[in-house]
Amino acid sequence: MHRYILKRLLMLIPVLLCVAFVIFAFMDMASGDPVYSVAGPDATPEELAQLREEMGLNGSLLERYARYIWDLLHGDLGVSYVSKRDVMATYMERLPNTLKLASVTMVVAVGISVPLGIVAAVNHNSLKDTISMILALVGLSMPNFWLGLLLIILFSLKLGWFPSGGNTGFSSIVLPAFSIGVGLAALMARTTRSSMLDVIRQDYIRMARAKGVPERKVIRKHALKNALIPIITIFGVQFSNVLGGSVLAETVFAWPGVGRLVVDAIDQRDIPTVTGALVMTTLLVSIVNLLVDIIYAYVDPRIKGQYIK
Amino acid sequence: MKKKQRKSQQYKKRSMLAMMLRQLRKNKGAILGLILVVIIIALALLAPVLYDYDTVVIAQNLKERLQAPSAAHWFGTDDMGRDILARVVYGARYSLAVGLIAVLIALLVGVTLGATAGYVGGPMEEVIMRICDIFSSIPSVLMAIAVVSALGKSTVNLMIAVGIASTAPFIRVARAAVLTVRGEEYVESARAIGMREWQIVLGHILPNCISQIIVQATLRVGSAIISAAQLSFLGLGVPAPAPEWGSMLSSGRSYIRDYSYMTLFPGLAIMITVLSLNMIGDGLRDALDPKLKR
Repeated sequence: MHRYILKRLLMLIPVLLCVAFVIFAFMDMASGDPVYSVAGPDATPEELAQLREEMGLNGSLLERYARYIWDLLHGDLGVSYVSKRDVMATYMERLPNTLKLASVTMVVAVGISVPLGIVAAVNHNSLKDTISMILALVGLSMPNFWLGLLLIILFSLKLGWFPSGGNTGFSSIVLPAFSIGVGLAALMARTTRSSMLDVIRQDYIRMARAKGVPERKVIRKHALKNALIPIITIFGVQFSNVLGGSVLAETVFAWPGVGRLVVDAIDQRDIPTVTGALVMTTLLVSIVNLLVDIIYAYVDPRIKGQYIK
Repeated sequence: MKKKQRKSQQYKKRSMLAMMLRQLRKNKGAILGLILVVIIIALALLAPVLYDYDTVVIAQNLKERLQAPSAAHWFGTDDMGRDILARVVYGARYSLAVGLIAVLIALLVGVTLGATAGYVGGPMEEVIMRICDIFSSIPSVLMAIAVVSALGKSTVNLMIAVGIASTAPFIRVARAAVLTVRGEEYVESARAIGMREWQIVLGHILPNCISQIIVQATLRVGSAIISAAQLSFLGLGVPAPAPEWGSMLSSGRSYIRDYSYMTLFPGLAIMITVLSLNMIGDGLRDALDPKLKR
């Protein structure tokens, strides 16, 4: 198992270097030559050359990339063109908000999806099952930013229960978390249902029923526990998706997270901030994915067995 | 006797795709999805007949601005006095075109790479799959944002961005599908009679993987439409004043307090379109693998 973790960690390094290169190259294409916009129209060629060196824009793409990675290893993501602040410091300020939103979103998603999936599986092919799965399909097809707008109209503007944006305490996280969580819940409800259906048909469930275990206990103790593995996997994948994909909800609800940082930086053509935030988010998502794989291997002895061989 | 023989021959001839379509016909959800998609495509095609683009869809008419839904304007009018229904109907052209072309880009690139990886194997497979890993490590919304930022805002670049962000799943599906049929006897027979490699891949391997790829494509068109709407909502998609659903939602957001219908209808259009496509995709998936249906 330790060897597996080490191998996965080592494999992560080249992938991350390439990911950083892809993002770096895209952003380099996007920026054109930012020296002109910073220096203004009256700058002399000497001033431009000096500024280019100060901004770290001299040299070929590969040289600049190598410098970027070297700085990144030292925790330096460069300085924002707009705010002149350290990008890493700005990112770290925003990250807790995104993590908080992602965590509450996952609570919402699990809170809706697991009961819905269980009800659908236990009442297989009944009206309850059909309604649950139609709801899941609708949730899956609804763009989360539109749902966010609808939640604002109903719960903020009409009923006044929650604020429509910003970060003003726990009440302000409820609507953005629901706007992202409903779509995830739809996906997870489908997984829970099919995983429960797989387990419910197993012999040990029939055995538990035969020896007179109450149905509630059969579902909770025997079925759900064994159906959890695919649910945990999809939970992990979705958690990293939320970390990387909360851009829209953060924009709709003016939530001061990393997603909004990226969108604002793109508007202002602040390339170091966009590049830094994208690279760091990808790094974070990759680490979360790796952790999920490791947890998965620990939870399921069969998977652990594969690596012991 | 003869009749019976003919029947069994016909059965043998039936392709995987034909069997999948037969199964699909039994699925009520998929049929409803198909009917809705046909209606949406018909509306998109007929849009120029129903509304004049220059005078109704994009021209400002400030006298009629911000009117609530009425008999004259079923979905109301927006902040520029434009009929929202006309814009929603025209928007279908953009969303469907972006969704379909983006998926087509992802499909062509993904299937080519995935089939090559699965068929050739060895170091080539390793390289392609690591590229696939790299592209899957970047969250798709951020990937699309990075591509649009690099290429600039336009409808074509939006298609490319969403296409690139959707490529990785096609590489995986195509590779897995090719791996399952690569060792089949008919592939070996084709090789034995001296067919060229590309002929085997195009003529024998891909046709037998096509159903999985079609299922993936149908499910992806819906998510591509949502991705495109997301980028337009962020101001990175189809430039104004074109009536794209995502950008309509973005402009409706400024008037959400008093004119919430501006936000309602474009979102509903996205949802119904994606829902219909997902219903077809689910139906196709169940038809392909009835075990999944349950």
